[in-house]
Amino acid sequence: MMHKCPEQLAAVRKRARARQNHARPRILVGAATCGLASGAGPVLEALRAAAATGAEEMEITETGCNGACYLEPIVEAVLPGKTRVMYGHVKPGDAPMIIQATVNGTVYEERALCRVDADEILLEDVVAPYRRNGLDAALERIVARDAHPFFRSQRHIAMRNCGVIDPASLEEYVARGGYAGAAKALLEMRPESIIEAIKRSGLRGRGGGGFPTGRKWEACRKAPGEPKYVICNADEGDPGAYMDRAIIEGDPHSIIEGMIIGSYAIGAHLGYIYVRQEYPLAVRRLRLALQQAEEAGFLGTDIFGSGHEFTIQINRGAGAFVCGESTALMASLEGRVGEPRAKYIHTVEFGLWNKPSCLNNVETWNNVPAIIQRGADWYAGIGTTGSKGTKVFSLVGSAKRAGLVEVPMGVSLREVVEEIGGGVTEGRTLKAIQTGGPSGGCIPATLLDVPVDYESLGALGSMMGSGGLVVMDNRTCMVDVARYFTAFLKEESCGKCVPCREGSAHMLDVLTRICEGAGRAEDIPLLEELSVVMTDGSLCALGGSAPNPVLSTLKYFRNEYQAHIDEHRCPAGVCKALLTYRIVAEDCSGCDACVDACPSGAISGDYSEAHVIDESLCARCGLCVPACPQGAIILQ
Amino acid sequence: MHQMNPVNFSINGRPMRAAPGETVLSVARRNDIPIPTLCHHEALTSQGSCRLCVVEVSWGDRSKLVTSCIYTPYEEDRIETDTPRVRTLRRLVIELLLARCPNVDVLQRLGWEYGVKPGRLAPEDGRGKERCILCGLCVRVCDEVVGQHAIGYEGRGVERRITTPFNDHAAACIGCGACVYVCPTSALHYEDVENVRIMKEFQTRVELAQCRQCGRRYAPAVLIEKVTRCAQTKEDDRHLCPACRRRTFAERMSAWMQKQLPDARANGDRLDVTTRAGG
Repeated sequence: MMHKCPEQLAAVRKRARARQNHARPRILVGAATCGLASGAGPVLEALRAAAATGAEEMEITETGCNGACYLEPIVEAVLPGKTRVMYGHVKPGDAPMIIQATVNGTVYEERALCRVDADEILLEDVVAPYRRNGLDAALERIVARDAHPFFRSQRHIAMRNCGVIDPASLEEYVARGGYAGAAKALLEMRPESIIEAIKRSGLRGRGGGGFPTGRKWEACRKAPGEPKYVICNADEGDPGAYMDRAIIEGDPHSIIEGMIIGSYAIGAHLGYIYVRQEYPLAVRRLRLALQQAEEAGFLGTDIFGSGHEFTIQINRGAGAFVCGESTALMASLEGRVGEPRAKYIHTVEFGLWNKPSCLNNVETWNNVPAIIQRGADWYAGIGTTGSKGTKVFSLVGSAKRAGLVEVPMGVSLREVVEEIGGGVTEGRTLKAIQTGGPSGGCIPATLLDVPVDYESLGALGSMMGSGGLVVMDNRTCMVDVARYFTAFLKEESCGKCVPCREGSAHMLDVLTRICEGAGRAEDIPLLEELSVVMTDGSLCALGGSAPNPVLSTLKYFRNEYQAHIDEHRCPAGVCKALLTYRIVAEDCSGCDACVDACPSGAISGDYSEAHVIDESLCARCGLCVPACPQGAIILQ
Repeated sequence: MHQMNPVNFSINGRPMRAAPGETVLSVARRNDIPIPTLCHHEALTSQGSCRLCVVEVSWGDRSKLVTSCIYTPYEEDRIETDTPRVRTLRRLVIELLLARCPNVDVLQRLGWEYGVKPGRLAPEDGRGKERCILCGLCVRVCDEVVGQHAIGYEGRGVERRITTPFNDHAAACIGCGACVYVCPTSALHYEDVENVRIMKEFQTRVELAQCRQCGRRYAPAVLIEKVTRCAQTKEDDRHLCPACRRRTFAERMSAWMQKQLPDARANGDRLDVTTRAGG
């Protein structure tokens, strides 16, 4: 149905909320890409099958990712009038027990993670506690989510609906205050006052640049030229970063609503979402959401009877990392080769088809409805002086609790990594955190108390970037890390300008030779000079920031470079060419176990005599080490 | 919006005035201030990819490097074309290009001028035999001036190459040789063999038309067709090689003069050969 006025929207919201008021049990299965990859599909089927056999009516729906990817597949059960229970690592075999427990109004303790005692509707500033009538002993025993180490210090604004609503349901989005912000903006606010609110909120671009969003909108509104465009950059390409994917998959309407508000503020009537084709589920969810929004009249002509006209098109990116750069993205949207151009004239003046264009990242757009609804002051009250609000990070690598973490700006890296992430895998020590994706840098464990905000990370030679946080432990070789990211960037360099194209290739040559033990004394100054030409001379930010992994590891882990070059030694034991496996003759019983384990026939020796490894044949696979019952094989 | 009026700024301390939309490079060239370029040609759109034309722009107490072939100055910009930062960047860019194309003389000259120490970036994997620096002038001249779009880029990063669609004979190529002409490093060549012009780097062969007088194969037939269409050349001249055309022209003119000369002498007039003889 069409919602032509806010009263209708309010009526829908009321109806939807009443329906959701948990008259019957409801089961939510985290079916974002992370959940599906961990087996949410079969779990969902098993739950449906188990529910079908029971007499009680039960609703089983898909939801997005609540961030706790390390616990996937995640299932939540809403017990009417009592509480909501979260289960983790659910297997299809658990389905009957979960269904039974849900029907009985209790919990299947085996897989229970925590209990959610209140339903927060962030956009309306409402925290509605579940009535908690008749919680049995088992339910009482479960830890509350507010006390769970992964969740307790997080603050979900961008992820307000992720893992809570069915992303395929417009009604559920509206029930949680969705589209009320757009209605408010279009009917009660003037474009200038919206821009003023975004400026006052302190929101800065979440895609990496950190440019103040309100100033960008204002410049675009003031730029002469028609038509104007708004663009959502969903071409998230940093290795190990998937914040945007989770937001689209879990809450697609929030982006659409943000863009509606932005289009009205700027004076645009057409918007584009540029989303990478490698995110098929995100594309599907967006398409459905767009269709729903059009049918409901949130997109199209005369939105909410305000006279504002706005539609959105989806364009899929074909897999070039550089297309996440705004000018390359716009070239790609125009149907040209996705290559950047110099931004001496800004895209807010001459962007898509040389018209004023306002490009923001997924998370930036998603924050907009919250700011409009809760007010700029509320938003500005969260975070630090220069960096407001929250930021979603994808915490990956050797973190014990990996997943998406949304925290207020300014919390320390230590809190994110050690408290929320639970530190590194048992038996290892934390060595460094890589922030900001391939263009970011490595921050050593000694600087872990740095607050997470744009300025502080930049000052350390890293950057906020789009929000990748790769946790590295003592078994990570920092030269190898620099080599990995440089290889990625060399592969993704478009080749237009000389410093990035040739510089990244030479940088990779140098790093590869250091990792292979052929490093030369002059290689470190050479890397530094190559960094200068790339930083100072590249045409776009991809090349300009490409040396960051090298520069930051040189800054904090120079001794590792020197160990590789001067001593032909990889302190972390990663670079294969620099490893030597040796059998300690005194400890060897000559049992031949290592001979059988060695795939390259490098180990010889008579039975019950001490064996030796022929280094020229050894592939350094390490299979002999666990095969030896005496523990006689050591790595040097 | 940026620049509706002329802009007053300075280059190396000299006051300058740029027309609306004029680049720093253009102003510098007008004023005989040298700035090296490899990917710039005044007939083509600038793309700022070789990075050799960088200059340092300061305003207030801040400064940054910009590519002068695309940067249009702002009021009161102070531009310096030869600071240490500029020279370092140019030296490193040239060093990178020399590692790719060690045998290109224009790069060798620049390398000498900017003090590149040879051999530091000896490529390890066969790069280095290359002559093409990927400046893209050939692609742009074919698109923007000739209008044929016969060549383009393939691949990305160091694997990027300039080639024809599908690395195959380019049907759109008219064999005009503009790409060869504009190439700053002599990376492109063509050769006329019997009745075809071979575009050597582009797997493309174009038939050469025969001069109706001397029988010589003198230019690609498709090129002649295109030029005729664009320039509306006289029908009779269309199928003559340059030498025969010159000769016919001379013969025509001579015949005309023979006819006119006696009358003109009688009248004491000067002959107006420019407007009538060729016609």
